[in-house]
Amino acid sequence: MAKKKGDEKVNQTPQSDNEEQNYDEEPDFDDPEGFVDDIPDEELLADLLEQKPKESDGYENVIVVDGCPQVGPERLEKLQSVINKIFSKFGKIVNEYYPTTDTGVTTGYIFLEYSNPQNAAEAVKATNNCKLDKQHTFLVNLFTDFNKYADIPKEWEPPAPQPFKVQSDLQWYLMDPDAYDQFLVGIGTGVSLQVWQNALPEPVMLQERPNWTETYAVWSPLGTYLATFHWRGVALWAGPKFSQFQKFFHPEARFISFSPCENYIVTFSPSGDRGDDKKLIIWDIRTGQEKRSFPPPDEYVTWPIFRWSKDDRFFARLGADVLSVYETPGFGLLDKKSIKIPGIRDFSWSPTDNILAYWVAEDKDVPARVTLLELPNRTEVRSKNLFSVADCKIHWQKSGDYLCVKVDRYSKVKKDKNEIKYSGMYYNFEIFHMREKEIPVDSVEIKEPIQAFAWEPVGSKFSIIHGDPANICISFYQVNTGQAPTLLRKFERKPFNHLFWSPMGQFIILANLGLTGGALEFLDTNDFTIMNVAAHYQMSGIEWDPTGRYVVTGVSSLKCKMDCGYYIWSFQGKVLRRVMKEGFAQFHWRPRPPTLLSEKQQKEIKKNLKKYYSQFESKDRMRSSKASKELVAKRTEQMKKHIEYREAKVQEWEEQKPRRLELRNYVDTDGLDNDPTSTVEEVVEFFVKEEQSTIE
Amino acid sequence: MTCSYVTLWDLETGKNIATIKTNSSVRTCNFSYSAYQAAYTTDKAMGHPCEVFIIDTRTIDESMSTQSPILKWEITDSKVTSMVWGTLDETIITGHEAGDLIQWDLRTGKKVHSIKEHTHQINDMQLSRDGTMFITASKDQSAKLFDTSSLELLKEYKTERPVNSAALSPILDHVVLGGGQDAMEVTTTSTRQGKFDARFFHLVFEEEFGRVKGHFGPINSLAFHPDGKSYASGGEDGYVRVQSFDQSYFDYTFDYNRE
Repeated sequence: MAKKKGDEKVNQTPQSDNEEQNYDEEPDFDDPEGFVDDIPDEELLADLLEQKPKESDGYENVIVVDGCPQVGPERLEKLQSVINKIFSKFGKIVNEYYPTTDTGVTTGYIFLEYSNPQNAAEAVKATNNCKLDKQHTFLVNLFTDFNKYADIPKEWEPPAPQPFKVQSDLQWYLMDPDAYDQFLVGIGTGVSLQVWQNALPEPVMLQERPNWTETYAVWSPLGTYLATFHWRGVALWAGPKFSQFQKFFHPEARFISFSPCENYIVTFSPSGDRGDDKKLIIWDIRTGQEKRSFPPPDEYVTWPIFRWSKDDRFFARLGADVLSVYETPGFGLLDKKSIKIPGIRDFSWSPTDNILAYWVAEDKDVPARVTLLELPNRTEVRSKNLFSVADCKIHWQKSGDYLCVKVDRYSKVKKDKNEIKYSGMYYNFEIFHMREKEIPVDSVEIKEPIQAFAWEPVGSKFSIIHGDPANICISFYQVNTGQAPTLLRKFERKPFNHLFWSPMGQFIILANLGLTGGALEFLDTNDFTIMNVAAHYQMSGIEWDPTGRYVVTGVSSLKCKMDCGYYIWSFQGKVLRRVMKEGFAQFHWRPRPPTLLSEKQQKEIKKNLKKYYSQFESKDRMRSSKASKELVAKRTEQMKKHIEYREAKVQEWEEQKPRRLELRNYVDTDGLDNDPTSTVEEVVEFFVKEEQSTIE
Repeated sequence: MTCSYVTLWDLETGKNIATIKTNSSVRTCNFSYSAYQAAYTTDKAMGHPCEVFIIDTRTIDESMSTQSPILKWEITDSKVTSMVWGTLDETIITGHEAGDLIQWDLRTGKKVHSIKEHTHQINDMQLSRDGTMFITASKDQSAKLFDTSSLELLKEYKTERPVNSAALSPILDHVVLGGGQDAMEVTTTSTRQGKFDARFFHLVFEEEFGRVKGHFGPINSLAFHPDGKSYASGGEDGYVRVQSFDQSYFDYTFDYNRE
């Protein structure tokens, strides 16, 4: 109260100047004469008016149940108990009303009131369209919905056309005049993502966003989209600003795969809680629509579960003794049934044709078998029986010209209870010539353990790492028409465990990946010259850029805690740039779609390379001289600033000279160190020992 | 129980002329410009705090061991790991385990400046020839150049390994950094990976222009010869390497406009 009084006093002080106030008397609260109250209640009491009860209040607690049995008064009680039993599951029914006709028979619709709107909504959701018995199906609505539907205007108003949203140029990254490639760098587990352009003389960062993804990021196969992972699902980013292009709601999606033409994306959420049949979903990328969902695989399988044909027309999945091929855009099984293949172990699509290769394991006296199946007509275009087979691996050459099936064969087999033990292993490479009539098959046999196999992506060579750990060899073979593959070259005693062909063929990097590794060799397979021998210690990965001009080696923080970062090399093995970055986790070049130039045009360019060479050369020179000019300018600026700083300091130091002299007994020691005359060299000779010996 | 001492030596004769017993290990010690005073700091250990001592060194004899210091104060937070004297015997600058640098006024014994430019322990501090600048070497894999009176950060030299020592050339705008993988982890790595090279940077441009290999353990200590024509490095491998520069070192220049 005291405070209030004080407030009044303050308010009234200005008045007290011209009129005497008597605080004991009650002030006059009446409106002055002629006062018009023009302030509406809404303005004064808006907050209170909101709480004013309305007629419609409580309606949302009411539901209308139609489709009930129509009963006479004698059976009303029975109906009520049935209705109560069903509808009290959703909350307490506080009021009920069973309208009747003149004859006392119920009308078939009833009104029920719950104590709150949530119960009512829940009841509608759960019981609408529920069957009570054969004849009766409940039709349940909220009472308020009747109002809503009654208020629908008679005239139909056409919806206003949505403004046209210009789609940003998705192919912008291919339009760079210098054909610079882009790459993605991931730091930590979702800490940050960077997109760089591999410009000359040094790369330029285009984007950096912290927490762009929660785990990692991948490019789509043609490079149009960047996919990021989030708790709620997967997002795609595209265009010059990397704006969000599409998002797919799939909680805890961990794995994705794109179809080769970027029409569809498959997301897999092994632990998501959207129900078992929503673990695997295929989406349309452009519309964002869910096309079909699948239950998860029964057992552990390798990702991707669905493998796509090269044109996005089919996708297939391996089952027990069955291969399920689905068709787009209908997303149904091809010919409405899976293909029964007893004993099928693995399959792989050709990268260029609608042909898939699968292999079937041995079964008692039936040999193992590799089959090439053409789709959609299911013609077996070629098959080959194989004996004493332990395992097979299918390797398609990237141009689809050849298929290699690496066959692990045994000379002896021992069957324990649950285990099969093979011994005397040797290895066959079955080479299928896809482009020749009736697909002839050649075979290369190697009797040593195989570490790696790789096709030249364009061309007809393949390379194998084989041998005992003490003598690792690398062999290069040439595939020939009408004659068995010939050994081109064999390197012995090399420390490598991985092969990385340039995407354009001819050049290959031999590498030793892993914590104890780091060795690199850059090889030209035309004449097998070793262009360079280098190292990047503990490197965990290598990736060629899509044009085969550059290659990157990296040490990922996911594999190794020390010296994380990446090196960019030229294809000849010259290191161009070393980037050390704490937490560096992933590096991916942005893929490019296949070239639009015909083979003839490409040949033409290669022929005239000399002509272009001088152009590029002069461009490079200009760029590097510009860069060195910038560096010189920067250094000049730094030196200027430093000299200014030093001049001021030296002056200060000179001014302090008397005090320094004072501190050192007036002996000037300032120039002592760099004055050679101040040091006097003195020769001191002293006796060490004396020895006497007789000379004969 | 171990004993800790500060010992004073006669340079000409190599004789121990005084010994001061301390409560815990002595981490740093330095004479002032006039050499009338010296400072030393002790570790926080065995229940004793980290302390800074300033002693009178005008007359050195047996009585030193019983003399009380001119000034002493306690460091309550992260301990002192390196120390240099400021100009004209007025201040000392301490480098700390947490990366802090503190300048103390000796007339009042109070902090004048305190900065934190390093994120990890400062292993070494060395003055420039005229004492107006000093360089720090830190476990945070960098070395930095500061102004002695204002503690202003002037330059920064970055590496990928802890830096144990850094020195300024008395004649050229060069600095040398030494360090490498922590001694504890060395057994698990090859020498190439430990990066035990002495690394030369341009003082102003902060650019690395040379490396000297040789040590097979981390470098713990570095010093230029006062004439700037050679330098010495001491390593965890037990070797002291004295390297003199060849002519190409003196001929090497950076491109910039020298008008």
